[in-house]
Amino acid sequence: MRKIGMALAIAALMSGSVATAQTAYAAQTTHDTNVYTQPSVPTLPKVQMLDCRGTTGAMGCGPGWFWRDGWRGWSCYPC
Amino acid sequence: MKIPTRAGGSLIAAAVMTIGVTVAGFGSAAAQPGDYGTLPVDPNLITDSLAYNAAPPTFNPNGQPGVTAVYTHRDGSRQITSTILVLPDAQAATATLSGAQPQVTGMVANGKTEPAAVGTGGTTVSGMSPDGSKSVTVLTFTQGNAATTIEFDGLPKDPAPVDLVLELGRKQDTAIRDWQAA
Repeated sequence: MRKIGMALAIAALMSGSVATAQTAYAAQTTHDTNVYTQPSVPTLPKVQMLDCRGTTGAMGCGPGWFWRDGWRGWSCYPC
Repeated sequence: MKIPTRAGGSLIAAAVMTIGVTVAGFGSAAAQPGDYGTLPVDPNLITDSLAYNAAPPTFNPNGQPGVTAVYTHRDGSRQITSTILVLPDAQAATATLSGAQPQVTGMVANGKTEPAAVGTGGTTVSGMSPDGSKSVTVLTFTQGNAATTIEFDGLPKDPAPVDLVLELGRKQDTAIRDWQAA
């Protein structure tokens, strides 16, 4: 009787291990828990109009304008 | 770069030598004697106030009543020449500018002629000088018995802006009207 009990216990241990392993394997193959990130798609470069000197405008001139001594003297003129 | 100066400054003065003299005989005596020195409008009124240096005015260019004033930009690259002739009457003023038109178009190669909302019969001719050395814009108009040309000379790639041409022209027109009413 004692031998039978030991055999059952060993059998139970072995079958349990195998079952657990199968379950874990199944989980890996059917329910992937890894987090995959979508590669970011490069966006178009943002264009910011700058003045002719490549700055945001000297002497308060807005983008597309620059400071020079022209027909109206020192003033903002279009690029 | 220096813009070549226009000796004497007046192209309509030359034209009026023939036209003005002809009509002077039957004018209505509307021509006003007096000081023409206050007639030309200084372009510094519409600049940073120091951009142009004025040469001494030429009174009665080519013997015609009126004045020519030359304003040179401090960097020497731009020049504004204003000529105002005071003729016997409005018809004479109109005839003078009509007579000067071939000369105006002749001094601008492939010039673009456009109407300008300045005075009476305002017209601009813009383009390059025949030798290509400078940009040229000429505004002509009459106001009563006054015939006016304002010439803007600049570097080839730096023509006078239209808004500046019109603004100075309108201020000149107003100054002439004020002078006539005084």
